[in-house]
Amino acid sequence: MSDKQVGVISCSGEECLGGTLSRLATRKVMENLRSKEVVTLCLPLYIAGGDEEREFAREYPVISVDGCDKCCAKRATVKYSNEVKDSINLSEIFSQEMMLANIVSGRDLKEEHYEMADQVADEICRKVDQILAE
Amino acid sequence: MILRVISLYLNERWMNFMANIKVIPCSGIGKVFGLMARETVLQVTNKLLKDTTETVCLAHLVTGDYEAKEKVEGFTCITVDGCPALCSAKSVELAGGIVKKKYRVIDEMRQHKGINAGTGTELTDDGWLIVDEFAMKISEKIVEIIEEEQKNV
Repeated sequence: MSDKQVGVISCSGEECLGGTLSRLATRKVMENLRSKEVVTLCLPLYIAGGDEEREFAREYPVISVDGCDKCCAKRATVKYSNEVKDSINLSEIFSQEMMLANIVSGRDLKEEHYEMADQVADEICRKVDQILAE
Repeated sequence: MILRVISLYLNERWMNFMANIKVIPCSGIGKVFGLMARETVLQVTNKLLKDTTETVCLAHLVTGDYEAKEKVEGFTCITVDGCPALCSAKSVELAGGIVKKKYRVIDEMRQHKGINAGTGTELTDDGWLIVDEFAMKISEKIVEIIEEEQKNV
């Protein structure tokens, strides 16, 4: 594994739009924007005791991406591995009220939601680049 | 009169309890199976059985927050996991949920060998068809569970 890698842990929350956007943005970064530099960690597996995931988070810098103020991804990383190198809370970029909307299925997403996910993906990339430049 | 009020209150509480079956996916981000688990559950809770089921954020549940634990503890739950790690089933059980049925997308996919369901980002048309079929199957099971629980009241 290259030394130049950053882990991204997304909340994927099932109850609100913020979870859906976090997930979409993280996938976009992993698949298209920074495919060689970014590894995504499966949060449920990470929390359920996935050794590989926790080990990675101990060894490599991690960015948490949370859909709402509960910041579950960030708190889980701190609890089970290490401090996060950086974090993104979508309710700070948009608004908590908007992020708690119950539009969660991919079927119900509109163009505006994809634009929001793109905005989050750009923010993740900005933080990844900053970390890699250190 | 007092007894009648108490009875009505208890009945209402019981009906609320019965109407709140929790259906919880893993939403694993790495593979298509996680997305299928997620979309299947959302189809059940937001479309097919909107009034009798709801989902809970798994990530919130496993942080151990009281507020999240309260949503599943002692409730009938159905879990839908993408892979054999069974993160949802294990976490819900740990939080005190009564898991009546554990589903795995990989088992469902055995009936659709060779089909490209999509990726962890988006599903293909075939992927959506499998999700809809799977959601119907889970909904039928939930209706059975509700009927059974009502018989045992």
